[in-house]
Amino acid sequence: MRPFTYVLPTSLEQAAEAATQPDTIVKAAGIDIVDRMKERLVTPQKVVNLLPLKRELSQIAEQNGEVTIGAMVTLTQLQEAKQLQGRAYDGLRRAASTTGTPQVQNRATVAGNLLQFTRCWYVRSEAFRCLHGGRGPTCLAMTGDNRYHAVMGWSDCVRVHPSNLAPALLALGAEYTTRAGEAVRRRKLADLFPADPRAQNPEHTLEDGEIVTALHLPAQPADTRLGYAESREKQSFDWATTACAVRVVMAGGKITAADLVLGAVGPVPMAKPQAAQLLVGKEPSEKLFLRVAEAAFAGATPLAFNAYKLPIGKAVVRAALEEATR
Amino acid sequence: MSHPPDRGVSRRSFLKGSAIAGIATTGLTAAAEAAELHRPPSELGPGEHEITLSINGKARLVKVETRTTLLDALRDRLDLTGAKKICDRGACGGCTVLVDDLPVNSCLMLAVDAVGCELRTVEGLADPADPKATHPLVQNFVACDALQCGFCTPGMVMSSLSCLERRGTPTEAQMRHDLSGNLCRCGTYGRVMEAIERTAKGEGGGR
Repeated sequence: MRPFTYVLPTSLEQAAEAATQPDTIVKAAGIDIVDRMKERLVTPQKVVNLLPLKRELSQIAEQNGEVTIGAMVTLTQLQEAKQLQGRAYDGLRRAASTTGTPQVQNRATVAGNLLQFTRCWYVRSEAFRCLHGGRGPTCLAMTGDNRYHAVMGWSDCVRVHPSNLAPALLALGAEYTTRAGEAVRRRKLADLFPADPRAQNPEHTLEDGEIVTALHLPAQPADTRLGYAESREKQSFDWATTACAVRVVMAGGKITAADLVLGAVGPVPMAKPQAAQLLVGKEPSEKLFLRVAEAAFAGATPLAFNAYKLPIGKAVVRAALEEATR
Repeated sequence: MSHPPDRGVSRRSFLKGSAIAGIATTGLTAAAEAAELHRPPSELGPGEHEITLSINGKARLVKVETRTTLLDALRDRLDLTGAKKICDRGACGGCTVLVDDLPVNSCLMLAVDAVGCELRTVEGLADPADPKATHPLVQNFVACDALQCGFCTPGMVMSSLSCLERRGTPTEAQMRHDLSGNLCRCGTYGRVMEAIERTAKGEGGGR
């Protein structure tokens, strides 16, 4: 790790101001950033540490059904929060509980999970010069070992978005608040991810010096359920190979509203509104779930070594649906 | 136990160290906070600074750079070599220590970030001068032969300790969950869970 100056703000104002300085990055727990600094993938002169603001940024509050989650709530706190115990949040807690290891969950923050850098082994290795971030001329995974890479939504870079929480939060219709200088903005969570996830675009749309301060989950209708399932190679300290979060609202044995988001299959979390629409007005059934799973992966374009993600991903969609409608 | 070489405390570095401790533990009063808004934030580094870490109930002064991980500070600066540096990427759990009673990877935590936290390492579970004071969990690790090569053991012990403290009498599923961040290539998990169970039942261990 290269030496750096550590900035210790005592207020969000100070942090936001310090974050705009050149060659500066913002760090919360540092699970991802310390790792990248060790690899010398990032070598900032200054690191703005958000940990002194932990108390301010790690509150969970519920008002009129809307749950606000501080950006620095840890994945362990997220699983234990009393505001997030209902069935509408089952999938969110499960997604948090499958992330990393208990040791990682005790420190990793919600915003840090959403903003983590891709896990592509070409991008994440200093030894390789790939197109991501303009380090080289081509995407090395496109023609290289791409077993963990994208099967949809890619153009010139086949990285996948690694966040477990993102599909669950998106399915719940989450929004996020940021602070940049004096400006406070609140937007749909989908806006945090680039609409055109090319190699030159970062994993997120934050501007330099913009800090995520909170996430907001809108009030959910009665009998809302969130299912989450994923496939992975190891049961601990691994990232998903495919993931699916599905939100359904049940009434009279029928599904009256649905959202479906896939994770780990594209450069950003992939919302599948057309697949979700198939569920609306129907009674849950194995046949219906098969159709939804097919629709979720319709038009997928796998690479040389990751076509396995299609059948497994479809099974994961069905598992998430079964969990949500059980 | 040997002691790290004398470091010498300058007034300046001491004050800086206590400034971080203040921020992390007590926060600021409203008036001080308002004044703080118009002041640039304090900065540390990139050179060495003296900080105070609370380890196993004792305040320890240690000189670190901002980039020094908690693991490196413990092992290289404080001669607490129980926590092991294996993957150095948070994947193996060999460096597990308890930070405010929760197990974390000390290789992924900067030493400076541990100021104001209560740290517990495997060294806190035994006293070489008083073998009878050895924690029953450690005695049960020995009694159950819960290790082979022993390299993962300090981390495994700390995760087991946290499991016991938080859950009292953990179920098998809870033990499996709590140990899932500690890799043991010798495959001693079964024996480790036995040691946890025995400790939960109040069995003191001993050969």
